[in-house]
Amino acid sequence: MNETVTRGEEISALIIDDEPQMQRLVTSILEPNGYRVATASTGQEGLATAAQHRHDLILLDLGLPDVGGIAVLRQIREWTQTPIVILTVHDSEPEKIEALDSGADDYVTKPFNTGELLARLRTALRHADKGKVEEPVLQFGTLTVNLATRLVTRENRAVKLTSTEYALLRLFVQHAGKVLTHRQILREVWGPEHELKTQYLRVYVQRLRDKLEPDPDAPAFFLTESGIGYRFFAS
Amino acid sequence: MSLTENRLTSFLAPPWRQYTATILMVGIVTLVCYLLERSVGYQTLALIYLLAVVLVALVVGRIPTLLGAALGALIWDYIFVPPRFSFHIDELYDKMMVATYYIVAIVIGDLTTRLREHQEAAMKAKLLSESERLGRTLLNSVSHEFRTPISAIVGAVDNLRAEGGLSAAHNEFIDEIDSAGARLNRVVQSLLSAARLQAGQLQPRMDWCEARDVVRASVHESARLLNGHPVETKIAPGHHLAKMDFVLMQQAVSNLIANAAVHTPPGTPIKISARFEGKELLLQVADHGPGLPPGEVERVFEMFHRLPNSKPGGTGLGLAIVKGFVEAQGGRVCAGNGVDGGAVFNIFLPASDKPELPEEAS
Repeated sequence: MNETVTRGEEISALIIDDEPQMQRLVTSILEPNGYRVATASTGQEGLATAAQHRHDLILLDLGLPDVGGIAVLRQIREWTQTPIVILTVHDSEPEKIEALDSGADDYVTKPFNTGELLARLRTALRHADKGKVEEPVLQFGTLTVNLATRLVTRENRAVKLTSTEYALLRLFVQHAGKVLTHRQILREVWGPEHELKTQYLRVYVQRLRDKLEPDPDAPAFFLTESGIGYRFFAS
Repeated sequence: MSLTENRLTSFLAPPWRQYTATILMVGIVTLVCYLLERSVGYQTLALIYLLAVVLVALVVGRIPTLLGAALGALIWDYIFVPPRFSFHIDELYDKMMVATYYIVAIVIGDLTTRLREHQEAAMKAKLLSESERLGRTLLNSVSHEFRTPISAIVGAVDNLRAEGGLSAAHNEFIDEIDSAGARLNRVVQSLLSAARLQAGQLQPRMDWCEARDVVRASVHESARLLNGHPVETKIAPGHHLAKMDFVLMQQAVSNLIANAAVHTPPGTPIKISARFEGKELLLQVADHGPGLPPGEVERVFEMFHRLPNSKPGGTGLGLAIVKGFVEAQGGRVCAGNGVDGGAVFNIFLPASDKPELPEEAS
């Protein structure tokens, strides 16, 4: 579990959570995994700390007592693109969607397991790393997507995709590991005027599964995030 | 200025008080008019009666207001309009004056009461939505309060396990704590769902969903509870799109799966299928257990109802939540026994709407 971090230096993370117990728990998960952790107990304190020090990553609880978590998120997003992963509870899907559409990178639902939390943070950090070189050929198990030639192969055999299917696939693989809300995907692939037509997405994700999944009945790539959207899983 | 004076309105709640107040008001105005008549002339007095009608309309209902308007017109006519102390009116312009007064009084009285009723309705709605918001905030904070310590337990156990180097006995304890934490989380989930249902706080977010996705997510969610029961999913190729709340449906179907896993002999399969039946989408969970005893078919979905001789454990909420969640989405549930034995639970969701789909060949 305690995998080594590929970066040379420590990653600095800020935890904004009013519960000391959660602060301790997350700190104890992050520190052995190469993170340097700072904590804040209120939204105001979190905003102040985030402004004073540069952090590589912010973990934000949505249930803050003073300023709402969403308000904190929006304020931070006004001046920085630091990856933000939100901590939330089950049954709060509208809140999660609002947070994701307001600029949060991902979310973790309490109670979460250690591996899940670390994976979300790694993905958020990877997508925030603007300096990285964009690879034109992406490989996911038996699936290969060449973004330069638009060639998609499954088990080394070319798969024919329509232009919409390809646009959707490209969006997924470029955000591999990251959750995308229905609205985000619909805006990106079909345009803002179609952002509420979830049915398009249901149909096209099923088409991609039928064409690209090793077993369409047990999807390994195109994962459904209940009530939120989809996540393209990259192991 | 607020149109309603709360204390006055509550004092005037009984109708007889409204009528008394109206008659009293007309009486006082008549007295005032009597004193003023010499200096202002009888035609101006009509305006004072109109003012009285408006004031009365602010605090009493529509019918007493109309009564006040009529009473005012009659008294004004009788006492002040020449010839005095007679309902007879000599001049045409006086007749027109009385008629105009009467129409204006009715219209103003009606408009004022209507305005007031609107305001009262808006206030009631605001109070209601505030109490709803309070209820929701309370449930959310209870949810947060429970989930935080559970997260701490599950997370700490996870950390311990990750560090490794523990004895077999310690690992057993860790597994115990872990499964107790997961169970606690499920119970909290059930209690909160039931509380939301009881408080009428459930607001389904209806959107197009694929039944296949819902079934898959439900099987995944209940994987931990299957206890060795194999799950067989049967969904014909093609789309099974219907409007539903994905999260609620996922919990409903996984509750049915968990219910089947608990009440059937170990190792027997649980069959899940989805198909359109007429104008409805049917999601079905069938098991190979003993089936439902006679008389239980109607009662299984009741809250806290448990089958006689059922195993200990369980809150008696699972199936009630299924029913509540499905009905909140405009669907219905029913239970019965299959032809080859075993219990069958059906969820029907309305599916007469068909989605508008993009046109592009696949």
